[in-house]
Amino acid sequence: MIDFPGLLRALSDAGIRFIIVGGAAATAHGSTRLTQDLDVVYARDRDNLERLVRALTPHEPYLRGAPPDLPFRFDAETLERGLNFTLTSKLGDIDLLGEIIGGGGYDDLATHTIEIELFGVRCRCLGLRKLIEVKRAAGRPKDLEVLAELEAILEREES
Amino acid sequence: MNRSNRSKDPPDPVDAYREGVDRSLIEKNLELSVEERFLQLMELQRFAAELRRAGERARGT
Repeated sequence: MIDFPGLLRALSDAGIRFIIVGGAAATAHGSTRLTQDLDVVYARDRDNLERLVRALTPHEPYLRGAPPDLPFRFDAETLERGLNFTLTSKLGDIDLLGEIIGGGGYDDLATHTIEIELFGVRCRCLGLRKLIEVKRAAGRPKDLEVLAELEAILEREES
Repeated sequence: MNRSNRSKDPPDPVDAYREGVDRSLIEKNLELSVEERFLQLMELQRFAAELRRAGERARGT
């Protein structure tokens, strides 16, 4: 289970620039689907990477599904060398995404977000129209059902 | 794009799922605040985890 309040507070308290995307963004927009992780697109500047490391290290982030003895170091250098990280942590599974298909990185997406308040935290969440666009661009069969639902929600909003 | 070109477009795979969308469930969800939607999601995750554990116990794994 994901501790959404804990994760969002950890990210927000550290002043991290991030955008909620994926299934959690779908939930924010009214989707009824179950999601098992928190996907965020994070800004790739060095300051933000260091903030991410400081915020998440106490929660023991580790590569999801990797053998326990893998020499993984969660530090700014690792984040700088990589891009997208699927992690497990004491607060639940979190995907740190430097870029997403059809959407790009933080700066590309920032203008397509809405601000939401969640558990006392003000955070940015990908807007419904853009969320549909990136899910369509990803072309994953598992997204088809949620896409039908999100498009029904958009249709309702626009009617 | 004219009509003949449109007819050559591949079918939208999402179309197959539109009928299955439970609009009443969406309506109910949209009545909730964003925070309430996340609390409901966490409740659902707890339930799913409990079901998984029950399944594992039943299989003796």
